[in-house]
Amino acid sequence: MKNFKSMASAVVIAAGLGLSGQAAQAADVSFMSFSYAEEAAKPSVEALLKGFEAQTKLSVEPLGYAWGDMQKNIFLRARSKTLPGVAQLSERWLPSFANVAGLVDLNEVYGKDKLAEIFAPDALAMGQIGSKQYALPLISGSIGLIGNKAVLEKAGITKLPTTVDEFRTALVAVRDKVPNSVPYTMATKNNGSILLDFMIWNWTFGGEIIDEQGKVKVGNGDAGKQALSFMVGLMKDRLAAPEIDRPDARRLVAQNASAFFFDAPQARTHLRSFSGQGAAFDANVLPMPTPVTANGKEPASIQWGHLLVQFAADGKANADAPASKFISYLTSDAAQATFPLEQSALPVTKSGRANPKVTGDSFLAAWAKAAGKPKRNEVGIWSNAAELTQVIGEEVQGALLGQKSADDAIQAMQKRLETSMANVNKQN
Amino acid sequence: MSLAADITTAPSSARVSPHAVRGGLKAGQRRIGVLLLLPAAIAFGLVILYPFLQALALSLFEYTLETPAPRFTGLANFAKIAATPDVWQAFATTAIYVFFTTTGTLILGLAWALILNQPFRGRGLLRSMSLLPWVLPSTVSAFIWGWIFNSRYGVLNALLLELGFIDMPQAWLSTSTGAMIAVIITKIWLSIPLFMAFFLAGLQNMDREQVDAARVDGANNWAILRDHVLPHLRPVLIVVVVLGVIGNLQQFDTIYALTGGGPVRATAVLSVEVYRRAFEQWDIGFASAIGVLWVATLLPPAFLYLRMLVKGA
Repeated sequence: MKNFKSMASAVVIAAGLGLSGQAAQAADVSFMSFSYAEEAAKPSVEALLKGFEAQTKLSVEPLGYAWGDMQKNIFLRARSKTLPGVAQLSERWLPSFANVAGLVDLNEVYGKDKLAEIFAPDALAMGQIGSKQYALPLISGSIGLIGNKAVLEKAGITKLPTTVDEFRTALVAVRDKVPNSVPYTMATKNNGSILLDFMIWNWTFGGEIIDEQGKVKVGNGDAGKQALSFMVGLMKDRLAAPEIDRPDARRLVAQNASAFFFDAPQARTHLRSFSGQGAAFDANVLPMPTPVTANGKEPASIQWGHLLVQFAADGKANADAPASKFISYLTSDAAQATFPLEQSALPVTKSGRANPKVTGDSFLAAWAKAAGKPKRNEVGIWSNAAELTQVIGEEVQGALLGQKSADDAIQAMQKRLETSMANVNKQN
Repeated sequence: MSLAADITTAPSSARVSPHAVRGGLKAGQRRIGVLLLLPAAIAFGLVILYPFLQALALSLFEYTLETPAPRFTGLANFAKIAATPDVWQAFATTAIYVFFTTTGTLILGLAWALILNQPFRGRGLLRSMSLLPWVLPSTVSAFIWGWIFNSRYGVLNALLLELGFIDMPQAWLSTSTGAMIAVIITKIWLSIPLFMAFFLAGLQNMDREQVDAARVDGANNWAILRDHVLPHLRPVLIVVVVLGVIGNLQQFDTIYALTGGGPVRATAVLSVEVYRRAFEQWDIGFASAIGVLWVATLLPPAFLYLRMLVKGA
């Protein structure tokens, strides 16, 4: 009996503690963010949170997840009905979440006309699915080629290559004159990163993976095969290397062990951090147009940005809700004057882009000029984007590692993509 | 009338004690047993049984990002598996992985146990240090091995270059065979301490006089191992093989951390395949169906193990 009483007391105390924990005040807004989990960006996110809390007296609970884990965690939270108030997404993920219950149409919160008045059209378009505005942009830019001035100089290259042939010649020079370097840190390891490199080269050679109607085109014509053969050739001649993902590329470029890689403008911030030189490394970071097959052609680049989505119990929210106020703050002039620049990216509002700090940033100006007309990610707009990415990544990787010919890989890619696209809907 | 005549063996109709209850002491013990078992049973039900039954049910549903609520499709997911070569390839990859990891660990674990069973100075320290791979979190071990095999900074390449076996650094994790060997070596390294501990316990129970007698009769080391040690270790060997097969069939973390299932699909075992389908492609129903088949592959060794436990008991 004595034991029973002791146990009962323990249960009561534990229950009491549990209840008191539940009764503790929760934050007004929860914010899932991958920038918050990145060493280079965390201080900037923390500054935003402090600014919001000081202005509104509302509290924010930041939930940091690595970029690669973000989709999975939002998805799991959706299934367990524990979605945050606001979440940060990569622009290419939005179609995957279009059917998640609780996603708020922000046109209904802020008004379509008002949003069009505030935001730059290209940035606003990244958050649209059909007539719905399921996300608002946080930062924007494109994925394009970056050169490393220090490495190029060491290789005796004084002019940035503009054609594919010149690009190859420059890579050979780097390989021969800069020991232990990877001339072009092409993505060869992670399917998500491989997709972007392949997509850009495929566009460069005049190809298309999937058209607007959902018809798979990569195996029709020679462009896909030419693009992949070009990539395979770089591997064979040791101008690119296996086991490279975007983070590896950033580190190698920051260590002056690579001359070229594809990335978003945010790369400048990563390179500052990884080089250990801070802003002094900026002189080596050269945004450049993707080389073309013949002079006069349009350089290829991909639209890129970070988005903000809002979740509410029934998918409805008003502008006075704490989560809505938080999104308003993140896209306000005050936030847009600092955060995008700290991330080496373009602001998303018209007033933000007109800010003298932005127009006077030579890196961003050079980036915008080099990007030309960025095209929408032609894979990310489909609801089965994850499967398409895996198929393309596997086939490209198979050819790069010599497991199959470029022709076989493209034909296999065509077949597998057709199977995947058989019953799929376009999301925007 | 003798005293003995008063003693009767017939059962008395009177109760021994007014507090005695039907079933007596045994029933009371049984109730306490059930009560003590209850927390573990509840935990098992919540953490293992319920999710398992849910996964079993989900394998009969279509449940993707485009279907906010699961839609019953019967055996469609299993039909899809039959028509998906990637899944069958995952079964074959799993079989290769399980065979080599279990065999490798068995041989090296036994060899290490035989060494550590010999008397020598520092044996206690070496035994303790041998447990280190087992103590380390498996993902940490995977990253350590990832760096060892790294093509640019790896110790393995540095060593082979220094010894003149290779002319330039090799990308071990970028070939199908290299990646498979890497994940197998990593798992063997992780599992050796556990296997070694089992074998060492078995060896310490062995009658040394039997070995000494065999030596007097002229038996060499190999003969002693074959004719005396291995027969003595037979029960341990069976348990270790069964546990090893079960553990290796379930392996996920080291493979995912080291290769992510690649290059291409070279190390995509069933656990990685289920993870990719569920958390990269969001096809929960299909992933559950693969998971059900995966559990089916686990059942024979699990059954064997349980049978041995029951028999042993």
